[in-house]
Amino acid sequence: MSDAAILTEGLSKSFGAQAAVSELNLRIQPGAVYGFLGRNGAGKTTTMRMLLGLVRPTKGRARVLGLDPTREAELMRILERVAFVPQRKQLYGWATPGELARMNKGYFPRWSDEAAARLAQRLEIPMNMAFKKLSIGNQSKVALLLALAQEAEVLILDEPTAGLDPVMVDEILRTLIEDHVSQGRTIFVSSHHMGEVEQICDWVGILEGGRLLLESRLEEIRQEFRLVIASGEGLSAASSTDVVSATTDGRFRRYVVAREAERFAAELRGQGATILEISPLGLRELFLHLVRKEDPCTPGNAGAKAAPVSSFS
Amino acid sequence: MYAWKCWRESRARFIFLLIMFTVTALLFTLQPGLGERNGWWYFDRSEYIRNPGPTAHVVFSMILSVLWCSGFLSAVFLGATASGSEIEPGTIEYLWTRPRTRASVTWTHWGLCVAEIVIVAVVPIYLAAALLGILTRRWDSSGPVISALLIAPWLMVIVGLPVLGLTTLMTALRRSASGGLIYTSGVVIAYAILRQIIIVPLHLNPPTLFAGPLVWLMNNNQFGATPIAFPWGALWRAVFLAAAFPLAAQYLLKRAEV
Repeated sequence: MSDAAILTEGLSKSFGAQAAVSELNLRIQPGAVYGFLGRNGAGKTTTMRMLLGLVRPTKGRARVLGLDPTREAELMRILERVAFVPQRKQLYGWATPGELARMNKGYFPRWSDEAAARLAQRLEIPMNMAFKKLSIGNQSKVALLLALAQEAEVLILDEPTAGLDPVMVDEILRTLIEDHVSQGRTIFVSSHHMGEVEQICDWVGILEGGRLLLESRLEEIRQEFRLVIASGEGLSAASSTDVVSATTDGRFRRYVVAREAERFAAELRGQGATILEISPLGLRELFLHLVRKEDPCTPGNAGAKAAPVSSFS
Repeated sequence: MYAWKCWRESRARFIFLLIMFTVTALLFTLQPGLGERNGWWYFDRSEYIRNPGPTAHVVFSMILSVLWCSGFLSAVFLGATASGSEIEPGTIEYLWTRPRTRASVTWTHWGLCVAEIVIVAVVPIYLAAALLGILTRRWDSSGPVISALLIAPWLMVIVGLPVLGLTTLMTALRRSASGGLIYTSGVVIAYAILRQIIIVPLHLNPPTLFAGPLVWLMNNNQFGATPIAFPWGALWRAVFLAAAFPLAAQYLLKRAEV
């Protein structure tokens, strides 16, 4: 259990009657780069906040580096070893990035001045200007610099590139790959930009309405996941356990199949359907199919609520 | 590092309060010697030398009548920078993801504010006492006025500490600096008004919330006043509240979610 960098078991959080996260089971191995995808309000930020002790779970449990974030003593040890970039990059407006870096240095034993200086130069951050006077993009870059120079074992990044131009996004992704992914650090990143996730992540989890719809290796999605479009009467049910989602579009039925798409298509043909297309899915298409579906399904039971599909073995 | 951050955030208020109270205390000390002739101000020391006792008493009364609130004002304005004030603007996410317990953050801020309140209370009045000693050529600290001046700032600090705690608590409750400032002032003013309202018709005498020691100092040093006993009850109440309010704030912040 404790060998996972991040582990959640039945983790749930409700705000009054509103469930923000429901029965979330995650197991992120050390060194994994995990993209956490979902629409606004899907529960990504709440999950990250629970991992950092900013929000207490209503149910279930979480472990970060084998430590429990709900216990203060263990939380302090987590915070020493984890870097966090929040969604709202709000830092002290009066402080310059240089002062913020010096302040951070006092908190973190593994802080690297050399990394901070290199990042400041690479990300073109004006280090002597008050934080409140910086543009939104530069404020995001400062938040990233503070997190990356911490030399943390785990990076938790909540939409880290929001507000940045494409050149800077590319620079940051390359920094992440060169300085962190290559050193085997664990990265747990939420983003709305599928391109970024595809560029750096090896795992993805898709969250919707607080529930994990899918968790898989990115490579597996590329190789195994297929979109099957069929037409015909009475196709609402699917017997295959590999169907991740099924949607109806006029006379057509679209299935997202996790594996063995050909076998599934044969099943449909057996029901009298005409198979119009079997095509590979990109992450963006898969995400849109999963979160937009009109008719969610559990594996093997199209029409019911979606259940997590995990490729961990 | 958090202490440095607290200092950076509160230093402008601290310096403003220190200058304001120091200038006021020194002006009141010089006031008996100030005169005007042909449209020009001049300073005449003779009054200090001729009537040192009564002059010192006048100076003391004037200083205390204005500076009695220095502990309260410093506590409210400096206390409003407590960590609870970071919740509304959103910087709390940054602060609470540093490896420091919320309790240590609360008490670090409290400790720095206490140091600032002590300086704001002590420096102006001790400077005034020194100036008064020079002008009257009397350095007898056992004299009633000088000794009252020497203990006055510490009584101001004792009055300020519960207010600092209350501000820390209100800031945590309201989750903003302005909320903490307004609610603390509201509680103190509302209690003072309520106390005045119920004293006469109900024949009750509820305690002054925190100000007992200062009220004693002011009443005990009037001309011809009969000495009255030190209000130990008020002192202990102030000490109790000075500890209880920050502890309550610490509990609130420990349970807070952002």
